[in-house]
Amino acid sequence: MFGRLLWRLLQGSRGRLIIALVALISGGAVISSLLNLDLDASRKLTREFRRFGANLVVTPQRGFAAPQSAAGASIPGSEIAGSGAPALMDQNAAMAGIEAARAPEFVAAAPFLYVTARSAGTDVVVAGAWLDEMPQIAPAWKIEGQGISARDDLAHCMIGHNVASQLHLAPGAALELDYMQRSVRLAIAGVVEAGGAEDNQVFVNLPVAQRLAALPGRIQLVEITAAGNARAISGYAARLAQALPGYQVRPIRQMAQAEGDLLARIQSLIVWMVALILALTALCVLATMSALAMERRNDVGLMKALGGSISRIVGLFLAEIGVLGAAGGIIGAAAGIALSRWMGQRVFHAPISARWEVFPLTIALMIGISLAAALPLRMLGKIKPAVILRGE
Amino acid sequence: MPILVQIEALRKQFGSVSALDGVSLSISEGEWIAIMGPSGSGKTTLINIIGGLDTPTSGHAIVGGTDVARLDEAGLTRFRAEKIGFIFQQFHLVPYLSALENVMLAQYFHSSTDEAEARAALDRVGLAARAEHLPGKLSGGEQQRVAVARALINHPKLILADEPTGNLDEANEKTVIRLLRELHAEGHTILMVTHDAAIGALAGRRIELAHGRLAQVTATTL
Repeated sequence: MFGRLLWRLLQGSRGRLIIALVALISGGAVISSLLNLDLDASRKLTREFRRFGANLVVTPQRGFAAPQSAAGASIPGSEIAGSGAPALMDQNAAMAGIEAARAPEFVAAAPFLYVTARSAGTDVVVAGAWLDEMPQIAPAWKIEGQGISARDDLAHCMIGHNVASQLHLAPGAALELDYMQRSVRLAIAGVVEAGGAEDNQVFVNLPVAQRLAALPGRIQLVEITAAGNARAISGYAARLAQALPGYQVRPIRQMAQAEGDLLARIQSLIVWMVALILALTALCVLATMSALAMERRNDVGLMKALGGSISRIVGLFLAEIGVLGAAGGIIGAAAGIALSRWMGQRVFHAPISARWEVFPLTIALMIGISLAAALPLRMLGKIKPAVILRGE
Repeated sequence: MPILVQIEALRKQFGSVSALDGVSLSISEGEWIAIMGPSGSGKTTLINIIGGLDTPTSGHAIVGGTDVARLDEAGLTRFRAEKIGFIFQQFHLVPYLSALENVMLAQYFHSSTDEAEARAALDRVGLAARAEHLPGKLSGGEQQRVAVARALINHPKLILADEPTGNLDEANEKTVIRLLRELHAEGHTILMVTHDAAIGALAGRRIELAHGRLAQVTATTL
């Protein structure tokens, strides 16, 4: 009987209820599209920022101003080939510490040693690293020719775009590097175009640089790519710093800060907009419910006269409003996701994916707002059946 | 017959107006009582108090052993659901429920619904074929017959009818009176408010109210 009554109630006041439903659908659509944009934009931004590569750098406690690393970080201790005293770390100890602090945020790590060597009478910065990790550490690199996929490949190197131009080199050519009395001859696997300092560098696997610098087992820094939002990465950095006493773990601040600031601004804007839309939707439903409560005074008076308890009667009306809220939430959420995809294409020129967690959230919000807006139904409890039956 | 309704010194004030002023009477089970009197004499107030729709200012209205004056809101609701069947002059059907659902609504508030029983009640008042119709599609007489079926469905101890034929044409009036006679013959206790002396004469006893007081009690022979 409950379902039958509910259906009749919905049918009996469909004119008014359609107004409330339209308000709920509109509110639900805007809210779900904003939430979908928020969640997907966060994911997209995080992914976009990850495309810049490493976002943490581990150095010895002592650091120096220096040229830029593959990910744009300053390279402390890069004076190894110059006048300053080198600040070096033990490769095994540093990598073991990073491995020990491995967390879900960890994506990749690569140790670096820089040497300023000479080639064809020109100074070139030689970056020794684990080149097989470079797709994770510097994913934005464009490589002409081949990358180097094994860290024990000691016969090949990659050169920056400017080095290739300056020395008239191309993939397949040979490159000779001299440092102090040591020299090494390597075949060029690929030419790197990074749009930064890396275009001026030569990339070799770490043992080649260590042999050239006569610093076996020594490195200057470790670059780490971590996944997650700014807060997650900061947390991981803090845990890493605890696991690596005597080392300095720093976020590559510009990027993390920019990401964090942008996401915080977007989220704050969306939270305020969602709150505003919820309030407007509630007001609209409230107005409809007030009119409906007045309209149903007679029915409620009669139901009470027939022995209907107020909890049972109001429960019936609340169920009706709950159904309305759920319907508004379901239709609104579907419409909102379509809207966010359209907005993604039109406004951001990027596809926005449907985030399914938005569905239950929007439905719950719409049901909640409907029930909250059903406050005028409280007045039904005060109705005296005798007064209604007298026609007053 | 045992006493079903015992009214003692019942008073009801609406502000400075005294609707009932010390009414006392008793009604036995199976009686058909007609309450008569001019407008404003307190007829409807009396049956509203007996039916638990209103509360007295003072006095007692004991129905089936329950003093209605002592019941709280929830108690009155339960009392109405279990002990009283109402028939109103204005029919008072829920407009968006079918005839069948209007009858089942009373079952729903009483305990649980039984569609077959509700259909049988409508059949009894000659509306089996109109069970699925909304009140708006029924004539006044048909609506009142639905109200009679609704009043009967929970087998109440007492049927309270407030001007049950007041809005009906002659043919429908006869039908409703016939139904009330049948109910009385089956042993139902009926308390009926009416202005119509001819209908009042059908009751076993006529109680006349004037200015909120019992003016006259007349026994009639059916």
